[in-house]
Amino acid sequence: MLQLIRRYRELVLAAVLLVFPFAVYVAHARQPPARSALDRAVLLVTAPIERAVGAAVTGILEVWDGYLALRGARARAERLVRENRRLELERQQLGVERAENERLRRLLGIAAAGSERRYVGARVVGIRIGPAGLQILTIDRGSGDGLARAMPVVTADGLVGRIHSTTGGTADVLLVVDRNSSVAVRVERTRVRADVRGLGRPELARLDYALRVEDVIEGDRLVTSGTDAVFPPGIPVGRVTHLRRGSHGLFVEAEVIPAVDPTRVEEVLVVTSGARPEDALPPVPGAEPVP
Amino acid sequence: MKPLAYAALALLLSALEAALLAQLGGGVPLCLAAVLVAHLAVEAAMVEGVVGAAAIGYVLDLVTGSPKGLMTFLAVAAFLLARAVAAAVDLRGRTAFALLAGAVVLGVDAGAIGLARLVGPPDARPGWGLLSRALAEAVVTGLAAPLLRAALRRLDGWLGADAPELMG
Repeated sequence: MLQLIRRYRELVLAAVLLVFPFAVYVAHARQPPARSALDRAVLLVTAPIERAVGAAVTGILEVWDGYLALRGARARAERLVRENRRLELERQQLGVERAENERLRRLLGIAAAGSERRYVGARVVGIRIGPAGLQILTIDRGSGDGLARAMPVVTADGLVGRIHSTTGGTADVLLVVDRNSSVAVRVERTRVRADVRGLGRPELARLDYALRVEDVIEGDRLVTSGTDAVFPPGIPVGRVTHLRRGSHGLFVEAEVIPAVDPTRVEEVLVVTSGARPEDALPPVPGAEPVP
Repeated sequence: MKPLAYAALALLLSALEAALLAQLGGGVPLCLAAVLVAHLAVEAAMVEGVVGAAAIGYVLDLVTGSPKGLMTFLAVAAFLLARAVAAAVDLRGRTAFALLAGAVVLGVDAGAIGLARLVGPPDARPGWGLLSRALAEAVVTGLAAPLLRAALRRLDGWLGADAPELMG
């Protein structure tokens, strides 16, 4: 027997390296495993490379912007000053409305303790959007900066995703468009509830569980509802497109154009305030358990 | 030694891909680690090739966030298939190697999508529509493959390349 194995050792090795990983995959496909210490150590190597490439490209772009592309800078500056004045006026107006809103909330007795959101800013250092794996952004802030799994990640345009895993200095963000991602939303116009489910494509997601009898039309803006206890309410998620209302069935079929194009995101904000119960999180293959 | 060097290179290339995609945008992903698998299938000896493919697959499992074992299995399967093809057809030319690398990417992506549909959680099953993205990834990676191969041959020279041998 031993002689037979020795004789065909190459084939035996190939068979072992084929069967063992497959068995591991089948065992783990539905039960998200935690990353081992070895996995974390290997992944630590990637962060400095991604940061270095980011710094190099940013440096080149800054040189370009600072020294070579100054033509039209004066006109641009004047336009920005005008826009800044307008935004300042809008900010003051919003401040007044916010104070009024807070007063009314207190009057109604629904002011939640600590309703102010706290954010940590981060720069995107890596994007992985291959069709075979998860749709992930890597950011240059990690558990050392107070980030933890499931924290929502946003930009000024809307929802990007949630923290999937962290190391000391970086974190992976599972994008809204990943097929393991599901976000509870409302149609902003009519307050109809639904879910946005990723398809694994950066440019498109799917609208789930919007009842056929409800008022949803193409172009409707979707915002987080907050009912999943993961994302705070009111953050733009996307717009409804390709809506099909069949003659039968409970739900409409529709697609969603995400509010944020993940391939163009440079900086993000991580919402660090707000507690998320562990059982509110759907399992994601390869994800770490909530601390 | 060679499998470890290739795994380290796969990690380096994956980090570079992710960083360049973040800085330059575009939206079409690359999978240069698959080029390493194709190169091992054509140039390496059986034992170090299959171990190298498994090591590259492990790295891909980590960086893509796939469930453990999926990419390792697919990388080894792609290596064995590519090696069988390389035994029958001359793949040492630039165009032939580019086609092989593209085929490896497409095979790995299609395999990952197919297995996730079969074994993965029901509510997160990928659609076959993702194959169009896989095709784009295969084309871009195939175009980059001959350039990378020149560097890999130099690396083989440093590591002390072995003569290729047939399967079994």
